Amino acid sequence: MRSHERTARRYAKALYDVAREAGATDAVGQEMEQVAAVCAGDAGAHDVLTRPWIKPADRRGVAVAIARKIGVRKLVQDFVGLVAERGRADHLPEIVGAYRTLVDAELGRARAQVRTAVALTDAEKRQLSGKLEHALGKRVILEEQVDAALLGGFVAQVGSLIFDGSLDGQLARMRQRLARG
Amino acid sequence: MIRVLAIAALLLGMVPSAALAAEGGGGLINLDKSIAIQAINFLLLLLILGKLLYRPLLAKMEERTQAIRKSLDEAQAARAEAQRERAEHAAKLETAYAEAQAIRATALKEAAEEQRRLVEGARAEAGRLVESARNEMAQEVTRARQELRREVVDLAITAAERLIRKSLREEDHRRIVQDAIGRVDKVN
Repeated sequence: MRSHERTARRYAKALYDVAREAGATDAVGQEMEQVAAVCAGDAGAHDVLTRPWIKPADRRGVAVAIARKIGVRKLVQDFVGLVAERGRADHLPEIVGAYRTLVDAELGRARAQVRTAVALTDAEKRQLSGKLEHALGKRVILEEQVDAALLGGFVAQVGSLIFDGSLDGQLARMRQRLARG
Repeated sequence: MIRVLAIAALLLGMVPSAALAAEGGGGLINLDKSIAIQAINFLLLLLILGKLLYRPLLAKMEERTQAIRKSLDEAQAARAEAQRERAEHAAKLETAYAEAQAIRATALKEAAEEQRRLVEGARAEAGRLVESARNEMAQEVTRARQELRREVVDLAITAAERLIRKSLREEDHRRIVQDAIGRVDKVN
């Protein structure tokens, strides 16, 4: 798993360097996310791109065709083709994640994974982003995920920083306090 | 020797008187030349007997006397030796008895000391066991109390979760989210 991530970081760094020269790091990141989402959602495409007995040239052709169909730029098409040709198509989610980290670092922004009991309203998202940006000193992009297992409130995580504003967290803390006596 | 010669002389003196008695009135010995020859024979016999019998007899007697004296001396020495050995044995016996008494006294003292040590050890061990059992019991009680508290808390929190989940409405969710957003500032 560790080598998987290392490989993904290597590919992401190569793509990032080329995209930065082209001055389109953010846009390339968004297009990579689209391609990765399509590949993950289409089982047939995923099978073709990850089967080792399919010729590398064929895998490349399929990957480029998918990317072209999505309408991403040439750089992304070529990169996806290269990844498929090298038999690394199953690394795409990690590559996209690593690329996003590089771009976020370049643009001085952070991503906050927010687990909520009910979907946040736009106003709440704005408020939460504002508070987190104020606390972290950098721009924050919220990635919301509704989790029905939560009782209420939300849990936000930015890197290693975790803010637990959920009822579950409060109850867990209360449980610990009471159990300690 | 002297006594033998005296007896011989006495006999020689009696012989002439005996001969005279015979001559005078029918004595036993005749006083003539033969008496001299007899006397000479007697003297020769006396000399030969003295040479062949008396001297060896005397030597033998002397040897016997020496042997007896030697035996007496040896017996005396043996007796003295026996007395010395007896005294020595008595002294050794006395020493051994004293040593035995000392060993017995030491053994008795050591036994008493050992007994005292064993009793003290047993008493201390018993004390430790009691203390350990007491501590263990206290820990068990504490553990059971904590376990009970944990179970009660689990039950209470689980019940609270169920109740909250059932009773939460949309406006409650919004309020909880607002409260949480309000507390984000306090992270730092």
